[in-house]
Amino acid sequence: MARNSPNPGQKILYFLLICISISILYVDIKTNTFSGIKNNFKSVKISSKYLLKSITVDPVTSLIDLLNFKNDLITENKKLKQELDQSRVENYLILNEKNIFKTKDGLDFFLKNNNLDNNFQIAKLKEINPNVFKCCDRHRMFIEIFSDEKEIFSESFVFNNSGIIGQVIDGKKIHEVILLTDISHSTPVKTKSNNFYCNAQGSGKSDYIKCNYNPLVWDEKMFIGKIFYTSGLGGIYPSGVKIGTLDKINEGDVNKIELEIRLIANPISDDLLGVISL
Amino acid sequence: MRELFKKILLIIIASYIESIFYLYLINIYVIFPITFLLYSFLIYKTDKFNNVIEAFFIGLLVDLISGTYFGTNALLFCLMSYLINLNSNSFKLFSYLQVCLFFGITSSAYVGFTQMILNLYNFSYIILFTSALFNILFCIFIAMLPIYFPRFFSRKI
Repeated sequence: MARNSPNPGQKILYFLLICISISILYVDIKTNTFSGIKNNFKSVKISSKYLLKSITVDPVTSLIDLLNFKNDLITENKKLKQELDQSRVENYLILNEKNIFKTKDGLDFFLKNNNLDNNFQIAKLKEINPNVFKCCDRHRMFIEIFSDEKEIFSESFVFNNSGIIGQVIDGKKIHEVILLTDISHSTPVKTKSNNFYCNAQGSGKSDYIKCNYNPLVWDEKMFIGKIFYTSGLGGIYPSGVKIGTLDKINEGDVNKIELEIRLIANPISDDLLGVISL
Repeated sequence: MRELFKKILLIIIASYIESIFYLYLINIYVIFPITFLLYSFLIYKTDKFNNVIEAFFIGLLVDLISGTYFGTNALLFCLMSYLINLNSNSFKLFSYLQVCLFFGITSSAYVGFTQMILNLYNFSYIILFTSALFNILFCIFIAMLPIYFPRFFSRKI
């Protein structure tokens, strides 16, 4: 359907309104009469914008902020925990540095360079089956060593903030660690007096290693709570590091006594570990 | 009445969008009068004779929203309404390109006029010409859309 063109009456109306528009425009430019209306409109616009924002957007934003804040806190907490674990491992290393580096005069080297990274690597626990660790003979864990250099870590010993937990036996990126409690693992131990030496076998039980010896050969008196140290004779572990305390004495035979040594280090207590190759 | 409210709502939204685009497009010397083009399109599309009073008050509303001098948009909307109503039957004889040229040129006239009122001492011909080119191309683009997307544009532009 065709649209009607403006008739003379409508044309007059157009003309009138155009004239009014021009008049308003002129008055506004020259006298700024309508500034009050504009300012009121702006103030209403701004206040309603804020009101709407406070009703709709702000609750959602504050909720998101709260969630982000929680996430940030969790991340920060994790980071702090990691740093704390690392400092604990380093503290352990510093406390035992005399023993750890005694075997190859590493103490001088350590003091000269004062650079832990030469021999010391931080590792992270990747996998350990706690059920197997509690029940079975094969006590292994898998760690990731954070090192830029392509070193061979096999036969390096692994420790956490409480003590030595085992040695690296295999691996390139993820390294397998045989724990002291693994039944196929032997740890050379000694007493503080250096009158008793023994190869302590893994017991297959968590926290315990067993030491079988002939009392006719080693006549040192044993008692519950006696402290055992690494002897360093195996070449893997440093000498003189506290490894555990005597928990039980099994006198089954005249020629054979079995000592159960309770280890001081728990491999599943920390997920950040230290690795040192002597 | 419902139609009028719908129109006013569309105009308010267009004015808001225009204020957002303005900041980005001015960097490439373009002023894109979305509100004016939308209102022109609404007048062009309607089958009925457009009420001049409606154009006048919508123009005043746009003046109020956009913060320009009162009467600027009222005057231009009235003029545009008159032009479209006067040539409403002639447009049917025009090709799409001619209609696009008409809307593009009137929108650049709008840009020129508003610039003369609001920005007289820094009036820029570059802005005027680039805006004219941009607006004509935009109108052509809009006119071409139903060819490529016929399902979305069932009605003839």
